[in-house]
Amino acid sequence: MLTKRQKRNNRILAAVMLAASLFFLFPVIWMLANSFKPDAAITADMNSMRAFVPPALNGDFFSNYVTILTNTRFVRYMCNTLFYAAVLIVLGVIVNGLAGYALAKINFPFKDRWLMIIMLLMIVPMETIITIHFLFIAKLGLLNTVVGYVLPMIVNPFNIFLFRQVFVSLPDDVYEAAQLDHCSPIKYFFTMVLPMSQSVVATVSVFTFLNVWNDYLWPSLVFTSSDLLTAQIGLNAITSNDNTTTGQTLAVITMVTIPVILIYSFFSKQIVEGVVSTGSKEG
Amino acid sequence: MSFIELKNINKKYKGNEKNSVTDFNLNIEEKEFIAFVGPSGCGKSTTLRMIAGFEDITSGDLVIGGQRMNETAPAERGISMVFQNYALYPHMTVEKNISYGLKNMKVPAEEIKKKVDWAVDILGLTEYRYCKPKNLSGGQRQRVALGRAIVKNQKLFLMDEPLSNLDAKLRVSMRNEISQLHRKLGSTTIYVTHDQVEAMTMADRIVIMKDGVIQQVGKPMELYEHPDNKFVAGFIGSPQMNFYDVRVDGNCIIFTDGSRQKLSDSVIDKLKGYDSVIMGIRGEDLKFDEQNLGLFADSLHKAAINNTEIMGNENNLYFEFGGITSVARVSKYEVSQIGDQVDFVFMPHKMHFFDKNTEKTIVSAQ
Ligand SMILES: Nc1ncnc2c1ncn2[C@@H]1O[C@H](COP(=O)(O)OP(=O)(O)OP(=O)(O)O)[C@@H](O)[C@H]1O
Ligand SMILES: [Mg+2]
Repeated sequence: MLTKRQKRNNRILAAVMLAASLFFLFPVIWMLANSFKPDAAITADMNSMRAFVPPALNGDFFSNYVTILTNTRFVRYMCNTLFYAAVLIVLGVIVNGLAGYALAKINFPFKDRWLMIIMLLMIVPMETIITIHFLFIAKLGLLNTVVGYVLPMIVNPFNIFLFRQVFVSLPDDVYEAAQLDHCSPIKYFFTMVLPMSQSVVATVSVFTFLNVWNDYLWPSLVFTSSDLLTAQIGLNAITSNDNTTTGQTLAVITMVTIPVILIYSFFSKQIVEGVVSTGSKEG
Repeated sequence: MSFIELKNINKKYKGNEKNSVTDFNLNIEEKEFIAFVGPSGCGKSTTLRMIAGFEDITSGDLVIGGQRMNETAPAERGISMVFQNYALYPHMTVEKNISYGLKNMKVPAEEIKKKVDWAVDILGLTEYRYCKPKNLSGGQRQRVALGRAIVKNQKLFLMDEPLSNLDAKLRVSMRNEISQLHRKLGSTTIYVTHDQVEAMTMADRIVIMKDGVIQQVGKPMELYEHPDNKFVAGFIGSPQMNFYDVRVDGNCIIFTDGSRQKLSDSVIDKLKGYDSVIMGIRGEDLKFDEQNLGLFADSLHKAAINNTEIMGNENNLYFEFGGITSVARVSKYEVSQIGDQVDFVFMPHKMHFFDKNTEKTIVSAQ
């Protein structure tokens, strides 16, 4: 039971949090409101509260969006990104999942050392090794190919660690029961381990998606062909074009931002669960 | 040749100094219900898991159906297993859990359906057929696990403490169900439990283990009436057998408190050469009624009841005698109150005598 005092404190806390989140939301609201306006209106509204209010709903309401979607290759970039994300989610879950499973459940020499090394890799920032990746991919002649983009992105020490932490607590007797049910180890991984760990699979998928969606450096190094660009790179290409108006720029940014916000709000519970459960005691 | 032969099986886990199972020898006939019992850590699960193939056999031979199986994969040994924690597939329905193995064995769909129908029916799971395990009670889950084991038509069932997670009442009813199932299906069963009541009530033969070594193998009543050593005598039966340190003196034994008990000539004969021994007698073989008091009046003993356990159908009386807290088990018609002073006798032919050093039985009850 909460006491009266605790209740009051909770209410005050909620009010403060709400104010803080509004503060952080202002730029987003501003972006959203102005993405529907012609440049003249944006300038005119700049110094008043109207800067946060979308224009009246008329025939031109979506014109910035329509221009972007019809006159640029933005749709193509979006589809590219979704495709890369899908490929990386599937490959990432399989590869990092198998690695995590091995570290959790299979005995092999120096297992603990391996885990240590992988955990150390987690603190190495991507940026420091990206040149090596680049040189490697270039040597293989894979620049400007999907394979070249995807290959170095598959393995992710953090995801391996996440999987490992969840798999460690899977009961061994289920594996034994499955063995007696003529289930091969690989089949067990796909039909038992992954479905029993939906929460972490979802978490890793969301992280992977956000990684791919938000990544700028790596795709900008690998891709030069406009056919293969991701949304982030495309965004840059479109907004740096002199013909693009401020309103159109805001419309593109909105379209790039919205999936991220949607995903966070849909999966926030799962993300928290997935990360929290990795801290649970080892079985 | 027996259906299952365990020959000189030893198990030493990596990193352990001692064997977990030592020189395990046992033959099991087809359709037998065998129970492994013993205190925690005595190697019951280890032995069972070696039979299943989940643990390597350090040395010795495991023969099932005439074939050496030491290196055979678990799935190829022709066994089904029921686990202590059910080990159900949590994301599959009851039906899928039961049919999963059959599907992997490429059994035709029609036959799978027939088998699942049959299993679901005899286990009373019909209305839970499409439920997931998390929506079932412990007893229902264990029934699903049983279902998964019986549909595969394996010759050998292994069960590792399948009822230990259930409450007392459910345990009794599941005990009956498993016994009935065994009678119906006739599959050879090895049942691990640390509960001697389960072992006594269910098993055709019991294997009692301690520290990885078999203490005795036999029918439940054999173990009860003729234990091979003090450990078996104490492990089987509730309340525990009374053990007295006694001196042998002529045709009597003398308890530490000086009480004397006259023995028959044949027993005295067998105790020749022993200075002191351990005398063991079960609570129900202490008698308080007029008739027995009259019959064995040459060795009357006195007891001051200091505690009672009223069970309804029968009662346990506790009192100090012979240097220990002794327990007697009496019928509900022989009520005694705490503080009562009563006479009692030991049934002379129900006394067991154990060697003090080896704890082996010298004379067991007739
Ligand atoms: N994986 C293992 N590694 C090392 N030692 C083990 C392992 N499993 C069991 N042991 C040891 O082997 C001995 C027998 O264990 P086992 O699990 O067979 O006992 P049990 O009779 O089944 O006991 P319980 O009634 O508690 O289940 C114990 O001393 C235990 O410490
Ligand atoms: Mg055990």
